[in-house]
Amino acid sequence: MEGCDAAASGATDNIFSKDRRFKDTVYWANMQYPTSSPEVDFKTTYDAIVVGSGAAGGMAAHVLTTHGMKVLLLEAGKKLDVTAELKSMEWPYDHPRRGEMPPTYHALAQNEYTIRNPPYAAGSKFPHVESYIQGWSGPDYSKNLVVDEKDHPYTGTKYAWVRARVVGGKTNLWGRLALRLSDYDFKAGSRDGFGMDWPISYADIEPYYDKVDLYLGISGHKENIPWLPDGKFQRPIRLTTAEIKLREGLGKMDRVLTPYRAGVTTDGLKHNKYRSRCYGRGACDRRAGGCDIHAAFDSPTGLIQPAMDTGNLTLRPNSIVYEVTVDKTTGKASGVSFIDAETGKTYQVKSKAVLLGASTLESARLMMLSKSSLYPNGIGNTSGHVGHNFCEHIMGPGITGLVKELVGKPRTIDDGRPGSFYVARFRNIYDKQSDFIRGYGFEGSSGTTMFPDNALSTKGFGVSYKKAVRDYAGAYISMGAFGEVLPRYENYVTIDPKVKDRWGVPVLQFQYQFGDNEKKMAADMAVTAKEMFEASGIEVVDVQREILTEGWSIHELGTSRMGNDPKTSVLNQFQQSHDVPNLLVVDGSSHVSASCQNPTWTIMALCWRSCDHLADEMKKGNV
Amino acid sequence: MDTTRRDLIRIAAAAVAVGPLRAATPKFFTPHEFQLVEELTDIIIPTDDHSPGAKVAKVTTFLDGRLAEDFEDEPRKVWRDGLRLVDQLSQEWHGKPFLESTPEQRMGFMERISKNEMHPEKPEEIFFREIKLQAARIYYTSSIGIHEDLNYKGNVMLKEFAGIDASTVPVHVPDVK
Repeated sequence: MEGCDAAASGATDNIFSKDRRFKDTVYWANMQYPTSSPEVDFKTTYDAIVVGSGAAGGMAAHVLTTHGMKVLLLEAGKKLDVTAELKSMEWPYDHPRRGEMPPTYHALAQNEYTIRNPPYAAGSKFPHVESYIQGWSGPDYSKNLVVDEKDHPYTGTKYAWVRARVVGGKTNLWGRLALRLSDYDFKAGSRDGFGMDWPISYADIEPYYDKVDLYLGISGHKENIPWLPDGKFQRPIRLTTAEIKLREGLGKMDRVLTPYRAGVTTDGLKHNKYRSRCYGRGACDRRAGGCDIHAAFDSPTGLIQPAMDTGNLTLRPNSIVYEVTVDKTTGKASGVSFIDAETGKTYQVKSKAVLLGASTLESARLMMLSKSSLYPNGIGNTSGHVGHNFCEHIMGPGITGLVKELVGKPRTIDDGRPGSFYVARFRNIYDKQSDFIRGYGFEGSSGTTMFPDNALSTKGFGVSYKKAVRDYAGAYISMGAFGEVLPRYENYVTIDPKVKDRWGVPVLQFQYQFGDNEKKMAADMAVTAKEMFEASGIEVVDVQREILTEGWSIHELGTSRMGNDPKTSVLNQFQQSHDVPNLLVVDGSSHVSASCQNPTWTIMALCWRSCDHLADEMKKGNV
Repeated sequence: MDTTRRDLIRIAAAAVAVGPLRAATPKFFTPHEFQLVEELTDIIIPTDDHSPGAKVAKVTTFLDGRLAEDFEDEPRKVWRDGLRLVDQLSQEWHGKPFLESTPEQRMGFMERISKNEMHPEKPEEIFFREIKLQAARIYYTSSIGIHEDLNYKGNVMLKEFAGIDASTVPVHVPDVK
């Protein structure tokens, strides 16, 4: 592995300063962020109202404004200067609490989700309660991006729901793994007999994956895996010695470890002046997420700001939409009603089309809240499927291993990259498991990090303890699985009849639990993780078998699924409501199944396709 | 066990230096508690030939500040009770409060309370785990811990990603239907 050290040492050259406490802002001085939006015109009828400004809402705003449509983008959360919040390069010791939150903030611990039921913040003596991701390192930098659970209760079965009410939503923090789905997912129903096929095939969405890749930038290494299609990749990230070892080991098992496919521009984007290319600072992987030079895709700089530059976009933050209004004569959506989050005042605004991109769960909530004499079960819910077929990824099982030959080796930069590695699905592709269908992939990491986690698990004290922490800190490799949760009608969310949020809007009640297929799959994850490490000559240190609480993956999907049959689906293949043709649901709600591959890139590709179609239909006068 | 001759020499040297070096008034700890925490954490992460330890990295000052502002009383109680227990047990085992005991006695004390580190049961064993975790968390997020001890090279801007190209290891994907 001599090549490793050479490559790593060549890369330690800091191109801007020899001072590692470099804080200069010169490299993004040319970025202009944020510009202001025009005021909302309550007298006009917008071509489209988009609800939510994350991956889906931002993409809708981008595509529709490019088509020349006048768009109003409503975001329930505040507008924050995320660049200033994140301080990606700040050293722990330069922060008064080493990156921790002020004492009045509490992050929900893992066991709070397992021993209690929602609403988790109820009765807490802390003035602010936030979800579990705020228990990760550096939570002070993301505390204003995620919601305060006290203001946003929910009820029902256990669920670890992570929400970011802020312009850009969760894209400000996302894990950046940008994967494509394939016909192994879109036609999974036909392959194994469970559930429905998607109303599209890979050929329908492939051109839109390409567009998303080229417009937003993606880093990846081509592998020619039919069920994990390659994209229009920019420069791939590199692997550590440990990861190369695992890639070699998996190669013998017909399995593939590939460099993290990151929704990050590694070569830069000439068409976007708000985003820098990635400089391998590793900050995004060190904390909950986020990138203050916006090399990692986020909706505000990747989509909304360019949309604003067309002159066709109006963005209004602090706008909590609580109803999609209906024109009683046509049965179509006529606009939305919203509450100003700061003043509590309510407003109505009109549009020719309404697109929901509020997130899988919030869009379902909004549809069910939008009851009228025409749509007594909520808008677009004639099928009764809104809120149902709710699915996601199951997490928990994983493994930690030790690469013995790395113990005591000189330090290399292993975390100077926006992600580490991904192991593609292998189950039920070229084998057929007897006890579960579908599959799972692994996300992992290895090598030296800023904080040596082994300092907490190494026994003893004194000089020998210090040396052991140092010697072993870069020698570990770990990975955890993300498995497909089947979409089942009996897993659903509904409106709680009693509980309301801080603004008086009725909240969601969860009736959602992992099933037998997920539990058997999770057991298999631990078995294969172990066999892969062993086959690669990596010493197994710990195998995790415990399943994390529902919701942990932050990949909730499927509450308004697409389909060809209006009786069993909510949307058509262009994410249009079967009932209300000028209502679209462009977020993860529309996904027919969860796949095991992370959803963000598919959300954006589908949204782009649907918005192209909507613009076309509106030009023809069909909507 | 993890103690070495060097640890003992260091403790002896530190005992001599105690007192005049102490800085501002602590926010939560009493002066005695502060000194005790400094000594306990510095035995866990001592200054050695490689790098300065917990005391030089001001681990106790940071911990004192966090405890003083903690929203809950529980962590303050854990430390106050724990430190009282340390002196009480030291008295019981060696006839002297911890800071007045010899380097050998202190080392013996630490070995005794750290024996069941991964499965602590007795109050002093549970308290050792607390001291250790806090010392490690604070030391390894300090400038000394990150730069001087770990010699961490990251959090810089790189021209090129670190590591090895995946293409150096070709993979084969079997044909499937």
